[in-house]
Amino acid sequence: MKRPADLVTAMKPEEILKLIAAVRGDALCVPTMTTAPEWRDIAPDDLSISCVGFMGGASSLGLGLALSNPDRRVIVFDGDGSLLMQLGSLATIAGARPRNLTHLLFKNGVYHTSGAQNIPGGFDVDFVLMAKGAGYRTAYAIHEIDELKRRLPSLLRDEGPVFVELHTGLAEKTPMTARGGKSFPDQVEHLRKKLSA
Amino acid sequence: MPESVPASLILDAYKEIFREARGGRPTEPLGWVLSVPDTHQKSVLAALDKERALRTLTCATEDEANAIAAGLWIGGEPCILMIQHAGLYASINTLRGVAIDGKVPIFYMIGLLSRERDKDPSESRHSMVRWCEPLLDTFGVPHARLEGPDDVPLIAKYFKLSRERRGPAAVLVGLETM
Repeated sequence: MKRPADLVTAMKPEEILKLIAAVRGDALCVPTMTTAPEWRDIAPDDLSISCVGFMGGASSLGLGLALSNPDRRVIVFDGDGSLLMQLGSLATIAGARPRNLTHLLFKNGVYHTSGAQNIPGGFDVDFVLMAKGAGYRTAYAIHEIDELKRRLPSLLRDEGPVFVELHTGLAEKTPMTARGGKSFPDQVEHLRKKLSA
Repeated sequence: MPESVPASLILDAYKEIFREARGGRPTEPLGWVLSVPDTHQKSVLAALDKERALRTLTCATEDEANAIAAGLWIGGEPCILMIQHAGLYASINTLRGVAIDGKVPIFYMIGLLSRERDKDPSESRHSMVRWCEPLLDTFGVPHARLEGPDDVPLIAKYFKLSRERRGPAAVLVGLETM
């Protein structure tokens, strides 16, 4: 089974997040697990909410945000282990057809936070095929940072639901090595206030 | 003795709840119903299919429904979850994480499938029926029973309660709706 370290060209999650931060505009962002600590540092604002305390829920949380904010882009930073916990959300999202949802999958093939155990199926699991089969409007994989730079404007603008599998190495931080940030209920309250203002 | 509640009464209650939650503002949809289909409430789900004022989203799991409800709450959209007791058991960790620890008000209509008409749920021979209320008590989730048409006002009461206490609240559907 391939591991992220085997992939010479694996993208750095931190670099991906910086590129997204530079072009996201007023998009709502939903990081989870290993993207959460870095995103907190890159984008310390009230337009993001981390999926904390209910692993696997980022895609569904993003769907609820997309349905309640149809005029604003919502970007989910999902993990492969996380998505496997609520894989049915692919069909639920496809069925709801949110035009403003971009579902990014940071695929590293492991449960990084708990010690980098392989996810079931490891790096070979084809989430793009699953998203296409579920009915996402668009689904594709990106392997290299130059390709991401080229496709970034469209993946944040194209009619959703858009699914992009990003082939990454391991993040420098995890929620266990970089604790902190606002609690989930505080994030809920801040974002709700911000959106109703 | 408990009685079945007509779907039309439940939908009217939903509409009134959503109108009030929106402060009377006319909107389309009035509100969202997140459902993981429940045999016990199938007449309500069938009625929702024909209902244009309410938007129904069928979810693959109750875990998803809880997280979607959080996103809708953050975005200011009112919603009700319709699930079965089995779905409550399946999603209790997400209920804990989102509605209890996350302080997101989520209101559940929970079908007590197989509840015997002549028995109190606590005396049911079906563990799914018997343990539902004790489970909600363990997690501190306020709940009431919908045991007939006269209990329909409890739907609005417990929806409001979930918002007042910023957490979960539930109404248990005693007999299959009609």
